[in-house]
Amino acid sequence: MLRFDSVGMRYADDTVALETVTLHIPRGQFCVVLGSSGAGKSTLLRMANGLVVPTRGAVHVDGVRVAASTLAGLRPRIGMIHQQFNLVLRASVATNVLSGALPALPLWRAMPGLFPEAMRQRACELLEAVGLQPTHLARRASELSGGQQQRVGIARAFMLAPPLVLADEPVASLDPQASREVLMLLRQQAAERGTTVLCSLHQVDLARSFADRIVALRHGELVFDGPPSRFDAAAARALYDEPRVRVATAAPMREAA
Amino acid sequence: MTARTPNPLAPSGAAAWHIAPPFGARGVVGLLLALLLCFAAGQRVEMGRMFALTGEGLMAAVGLRDSAQVSSGLAGIARSMFPVQISERTEVARIEGFDRARLPFFAHIETETVHEPRLDPTTLQMTESVVEREVLVEPLGYAWHVLAKMVETLEIALWATLLAVAMSLPLAWFSARNYSPHRATYHLARGLVSLLRAVPELVSALLLVLAYGFGPIAGVLALALHAAGFLGKFYAEDIETADDKPQEALRAIGASPLKVMRFAVLPQVMPQFIAYTLYVLDRNVRMATVVGLVGAGGIGQELKGRYDMYNYSHVGTILLAIFLTVFLLDQLAARLRRRFA
Repeated sequence: MLRFDSVGMRYADDTVALETVTLHIPRGQFCVVLGSSGAGKSTLLRMANGLVVPTRGAVHVDGVRVAASTLAGLRPRIGMIHQQFNLVLRASVATNVLSGALPALPLWRAMPGLFPEAMRQRACELLEAVGLQPTHLARRASELSGGQQQRVGIARAFMLAPPLVLADEPVASLDPQASREVLMLLRQQAAERGTTVLCSLHQVDLARSFADRIVALRHGELVFDGPPSRFDAAAARALYDEPRVRVATAAPMREAA
Repeated sequence: MTARTPNPLAPSGAAAWHIAPPFGARGVVGLLLALLLCFAAGQRVEMGRMFALTGEGLMAAVGLRDSAQVSSGLAGIARSMFPVQISERTEVARIEGFDRARLPFFAHIETETVHEPRLDPTTLQMTESVVEREVLVEPLGYAWHVLAKMVETLEIALWATLLAVAMSLPLAWFSARNYSPHRATYHLARGLVSLLRAVPELVSALLLVLAYGFGPIAGVLALALHAAGFLGKFYAEDIETADDKPQEALRAIGASPLKVMRFAVLPQVMPQFIAYTLYVLDRNVRMATVVGLVGAGGIGQELKGRYDMYNYSHVGTILLAIFLTVFLLDQLAARLRRRFA
């Protein structure tokens, strides 16, 4: 379904975001990418829909190579969920979800906002499936809580029934309770539709309880690839650097002066 | 990625704990220099004389002085303008095809006697003769005329605004750095926007009157061109600073730039767009009265005509009408802003 063939990313200032990574994610798998900030999770995810172009290697989605010429066809088939939800805060919940179907809408319908009945129906079904109420439809996205906003984000991502969904730190801005709920929903929606999910997280416990497979990155290198059962405490420790900041307990600041 | 170890060059310890004061000696010196510059500029535009004359006028107004140039000048204007002209009197004999049975609303006919000096052809002496003539009196005639001209002015402003919005939307697209298809189109559009704003309405109206003749067309176009430059600039700046996150979300699923603009940018910038457009409408109403002075239609043309004929009471009516219109428009704009923003 999704294949990364020795992809690497090196920025112009020689910063290496991703060393050579090869990864194959089969259809229907819920694959979690673990790693601390700067480990290259986002870079890897964004290569799948061409938001980041790898400096080496190639990415294939469903056998089609991700390249400038294939992006127009590929992107509508790849849903995306964002850390900051990326909703239009002033627009209604309904409009936000419907905008997930924009690539499939002819321009003359898109400009006046004339979404066909079938699309509106689908938006309603999805919003119900992610646990929102009909009263939410006309609300502005800004009036919702973070967890509710990410539910709208999930509904938007599934509007075009994509075979692949990328979730870039979908719960990093949420509290633990909302994080579990949102991941549960995402997993459930994906399972019902047989959708492949590539989801980046930084919480080990969440990855253990929701993933079919865990892929761990450290400093841009693949350091673990296997089922959650094999991802033990030692593997988790290996993921993170030693704490950089030590809180001074012995000497108060004033004495240092 | 980088910086995995603490930066050894970063300051640490007590010396690093320091909050700078809000301004220093350099700020004070800069402020003093700016003040000096303002004084020099004020000297050149006769601000000293302005304050002196205004002071004399104020003293005359409260009775501390006998007379002053400013106050007597203003009083002269006020005397000749008020009471403002409301009615219209027309000599019946001068009205073509006058129908006595069908007078205009509220109108009546008066007979007035006029003492006219006249040259007696036999004696070649000036004699005063008494002439009786009928005049048609329309009590609200002139007010009605001004109202009609004001409506024409509003229509000019309305259409200038409509055309300006229509022209500025594509201009804004091309002069927004993140949507312009190419650097060249970006610079071209920015240049055009600056050019449109650089030409004052009054100047372009003068030129357009030569091209389209006297009348409202020149006025509409002159106002529209200037406003298109203004709106193009401000729309573009709002588009550039709109939150990119929702735009990225739509780009990521392959929505075309036009759709991203419509669904991720437009909802964000709409309140600002409405505010700018209302401001332009307001400004166009005010400027529409001015471009009339060069013959581009509307109430300005009437104002110029009456001013040139020393009909200051008529000028008073017109100025009052303009003030009332601008005031009402302000109220309306405030209402619309509250509604949509």
